[in-house]
Amino acid sequence: MMGQVAALQALVIGALLVWSSYGKLVGPLVGARARRTALKKFVGEKRAEPAFRAVGGVELLIGAALLLPPLWMMESLAAIALSVGFLGYLTYSRVASPDSSCGCAGSATAPVTWRTFGRAGLLLAAAVLASTADVGWWSAPGGAAIAVVLVEVMLFVALSSELDRHWLLPLRRLKVRLTHPLAATAAYDVPLATTQHQLLRSGAYRAVNSLLRSDIRDHWDEGEWRFVSYTATYDDRPATAVFAVPRLRYEPDEIRVAIVDDENGETVYRPSLLPVLA
Amino acid sequence: MAGLRGEVSWFCCGNAWGPCGTAGHGACGTCNSGSWQHAWTNTSDACYAITRPDRCGITGVSRRTCGFRHATTNLCNGARVVTTIADCGPQTDLFCGERACCGGTCASNRVIDLTPAAFSAIGSLNAGLIPCNVEAG
Amino acid sequence: MTNTLDRRTLLTSAVLGTTATLVGATAMGSLAPETAFAARSQSPEPGAPDPNFAEGRVTARDGSMILVSGSDGRFHRIRLTGGTSVWKLRPTTLDQVKVGDGLYARGVLMPDGTLAAESIWVNIVNLKVHVTAIGKNVLYLDHSGSRIVGHVVPGTSAAVYNGKPAVSDLSMVKVGKHAQVIGAWRPDTNEIDVATIYAAA
Repeated sequence: MMGQVAALQALVIGALLVWSSYGKLVGPLVGARARRTALKKFVGEKRAEPAFRAVGGVELLIGAALLLPPLWMMESLAAIALSVGFLGYLTYSRVASPDSSCGCAGSATAPVTWRTFGRAGLLLAAAVLASTADVGWWSAPGGAAIAVVLVEVMLFVALSSELDRHWLLPLRRLKVRLTHPLAATAAYDVPLATTQHQLLRSGAYRAVNSLLRSDIRDHWDEGEWRFVSYTATYDDRPATAVFAVPRLRYEPDEIRVAIVDDENGETVYRPSLLPVLA
Repeated sequence: MAGLRGEVSWFCCGNAWGPCGTAGHGACGTCNSGSWQHAWTNTSDACYAITRPDRCGITGVSRRTCGFRHATTNLCNGARVVTTIADCGPQTDLFCGERACCGGTCASNRVIDLTPAAFSAIGSLNAGLIPCNVEAG
Repeated sequence: MTNTLDRRTLLTSAVLGTTATLVGATAMGSLAPETAFAARSQSPEPGAPDPNFAEGRVTARDGSMILVSGSDGRFHRIRLTGGTSVWKLRPTTLDQVKVGDGLYARGVLMPDGTLAAESIWVNIVNLKVHVTAIGKNVLYLDHSGSRIVGHVVPGTSAAVYNGKPAVSDLSMVKVGKHAQVIGAWRPDTNEIDVATIYAAA
């Protein structure tokens, strides 16, 4: 069986390399993708895209050679060399440019993590195994060998963060649908951010904004109103702007405001007719 | 260019603390949170390929390069700030169709990102997202 | 405390119009915002640093004076006054500005080199993220490749879906979607508390 598993490696690696080359060769975003990788630092910004495409070309060449008959020892040796190269590049990019995308497979951008290393390691192991094969993958492998290789493919998928959106995210969405982890938030009282959001969209705010000198300084609730105060100046005198905002309803037009002199407590400004916005 | 109406937010750049720490000095190499600067969606082909305002139906965002001046007006209060281009952004296509209104005035889609210094001159940082008008300044 | 309560009572009656101390001529209409904005302290040249703005980490605090080490290497002395607003996940009090916090401050640069703060936003972050998973009152976020844990604070965290009015219900946030999060960073961790999340519903 081991011989058959080894034979099938050419199929697995070949398919992986062809997929990997796709994102490096096809589409209008290749250049942008290339510049997000550590290649930018390695070969310079100008040469990042040609280098990225060259790697894609080599991947496509080796991948196609592995997939197509005849079986050559050279193919698996080239795959081994390529995986060693990947591991070296990943180490470099982890050290030199940790925030960059690995630019590894497909068209998604993904940072270099332990999963990236795991996949490159698995690729190397598969390539070494492939070099021991003495028959082609097209030579009718048995069911047990196919099962082993399916597990291997699943391992590749699990280690590819680029594919998460196809299996991991749907699983997580399902979990959220079943467990409703944030459902309790709906029951809570009105957050101040809600009040502020409404306040900033009101005519009252627009009417006195030029007098305000701070962000929200104090706030308190009374019945259906929430009061919010700001530091203000009026005629160069220190003052306070106080807004009354409907607490439980979204009615920006009902928001009222007054400017109160800080020293004598007099209300110096209270627009009774707020301007209607265009 | 006629005024571009849309949403404005803020971003940090240059040396910074917290999750902003790795932001860098932006596409122009000059961006700093404390300066009056902004990010623009069309500073180069490579930039436009990432921001893609056309995917939200905004066509004709002019190609403007580092240092170009834009005036951004907060439609909720009329406050205005003039800033220069220092980075590429925001990623308009990630938030297509999003709308912000003040009174009867509404604006859709993210068209500009200001530095904290510039944004706080026309609105509250914790307000996050504001409808605005952008013109060549 | 009594002072605060007295003050709130005064302000409450002022805005609801239950006091009659309104001074005549200004009761109607509004001021043009542009006029007053022009009158404010000198604006910096576009592209240049704003002298009335400071950014950095709090390295020391002595009463109302805080020392901030700017990320660009500059030092700022920031003075808190009775009129300074402080935001730290929510509007809060002056004593909540602690050593180790990151902040943005806007105010007026005084002749002695201190910044008299008008507004301070402590640990505030504005992140464009990808929601990678959701747990019990926690959001797992990807922020340009780094993992951020966003804690939902019931009663404080709010959600804005498609620009609609903000609500307390975060349950419509979806795994795998993009979102923007205004939050308060927990210093020296990859964790934040969520103030407002902007998402598509």
